[in-house]
Amino acid sequence: MVGVEDTQIAVIGSGPAGCYLTQSLLRALPNAQITVFDRLASPFGLIRYGIATDHQHTKAITRQFDRMFADPRVRFAGNVRIGEDIGLEDIQKNFDKVVLATGLTSDRKLSLPGDSLPGVYGAGEITRILNSHPGAPKTLPEFGKRTVIIGGGNVAIDLLRFLVKDEHGFEASDITDQVLEAYLANPVQHITLAQRSQPANSKADAQMLKELATLNRATYSTQNKLEATEDFDRAQAARVNAFAAMVQEDREITGGPDVELAFGHVPLRVLGETKVEGVEFAIGDDVVVIEADSVITAIGFNAMAEELADLTASPSESGRIAEGLYRTGWARRGPQGAIPENRACAKLVADEIVQDLQSDTADSASRLGFNGLPEPVKQQSISFADWQKIDEHEKATAPDGRVRMKVSDHLEMVTIAGKQN
Amino acid sequence: MKFTVLYGTESGNSELIAEDVGDALRENHSEVEVFDLQDFDPASITPDNFYIVVCSTHGEGDLPNTAIPFAEAFEANPPAMEGVRYAMFGLGDTFYEETYSQGSEHIDRMFTAQGAKRVGEYGRHDASSWDLGSDLALEWLPGVLDAATIKA
Repeated sequence: MVGVEDTQIAVIGSGPAGCYLTQSLLRALPNAQITVFDRLASPFGLIRYGIATDHQHTKAITRQFDRMFADPRVRFAGNVRIGEDIGLEDIQKNFDKVVLATGLTSDRKLSLPGDSLPGVYGAGEITRILNSHPGAPKTLPEFGKRTVIIGGGNVAIDLLRFLVKDEHGFEASDITDQVLEAYLANPVQHITLAQRSQPANSKADAQMLKELATLNRATYSTQNKLEATEDFDRAQAARVNAFAAMVQEDREITGGPDVELAFGHVPLRVLGETKVEGVEFAIGDDVVVIEADSVITAIGFNAMAEELADLTASPSESGRIAEGLYRTGWARRGPQGAIPENRACAKLVADEIVQDLQSDTADSASRLGFNGLPEPVKQQSISFADWQKIDEHEKATAPDGRVRMKVSDHLEMVTIAGKQN
Repeated sequence: MKFTVLYGTESGNSELIAEDVGDALRENHSEVEVFDLQDFDPASITPDNFYIVVCSTHGEGDLPNTAIPFAEAFEANPPAMEGVRYAMFGLGDTFYEETYSQGSEHIDRMFTAQGAKRVGEYGRHDASSWDLGSDLALEWLPGVLDAATIKA
């Protein structure tokens, strides 16, 4: 076993996958030096930009990672784009092991006729707008009066919750107020949540559905029977009961759109000449058309079209890609599972890295890690202390009722961090 | 007195808290062990040790992932726990009122049913509070040790 004394490890991506992996490696390799890269000036990836703005309790997991970044063995290197500012090969030259934790950020397309018509939007893109992602547009698209959400997982439910809430629903969130106000000036009136699954096997967590039932917004209806039967497991029963609570007639509501819960709907094509006019679905042998001014797809994610995408395009049991190169999180196993699942995933990949280190014969003493990177890269790199300046700024400028006001311009983030790009 | 700190976790919060509780105990006690529940054999529970269980909640008020193998082994072969003393620190999220902190209560019921005695206040951490779980646990720990009349 060589090089374990001061193994240099690069983790590319500081979202949940990269953070859990770093934690696992710190435990397994007490003497490792770990550099966590991110293309953005901020850490935490999907926790900051993919979790809904009104689910701050889910974002609280960053408290755990704040502490990890305080460990002297860990360095955050934000504002460094692998494949643009520096090539993957140059990272590999300076680190003994390199792990891609780049996630999957592109909305999976329907791959059906009409799926590129104006008025078809991806849920991930909308979530990034609501979360002030610096790469996202600053305003929401027009949803019109009728929208169809295709998909029934937690991402779809997050979007549905946004569309039904009024201004009181965002207390202690970090939503961008201009975006919220623009939507509330012209909210959607009719929503169809269309999914292939039947209620029991819908992809959403029951907790997410119960939350919708509890909100005093929206009138839900469905053609389906919503009765839990004995052959359901606990999760299935909880889900069906939550859907049943949503459609109950005695819910006290203050307004909001009508929402049809459409199960067993398989999308066939998006209809429209120059823009979305409807969606055609198969229900068993029947075909139905649901009128729509817009379509929101929430059917999973792909790797973004960039240099590293090919390496993470298809899921794998193992984290190993090539000699010294690994992947973890969604970049390894595809867009399945919520944040905590990355913890088990990280353990598996960390074990593989430790095994490989123990059988490595090459001398790794010459690898310099972050210090071996080209000067310009080191200079533009944003440390965790730099990020904390952005964090403080965002908290200090938060308007009433918001926990922070995110800086949505990346250059401004970099400047607040005290760097020049 | 020997201490065994056990944690059951889904997201890693309980693990961090358990490690911090272990470190705090080691300041005054020489025999302190910290285990993930999935690596701990219920048959090894003994009245010679004081147990501190840190456990989160998953799904519909269920046990977290790493506590499940322990609970299965425990239920398959419930150990006699007369004379065993333990303390509980549960994690949950008041955002989900109905199931808040229920994960740990499964373990609590299992221990009590086998004759073990819970000591001190039932510790709780709420993810929605943004409090750091370890801060709360370290404030909670001395009270537990007092109640158990062990010097912290």
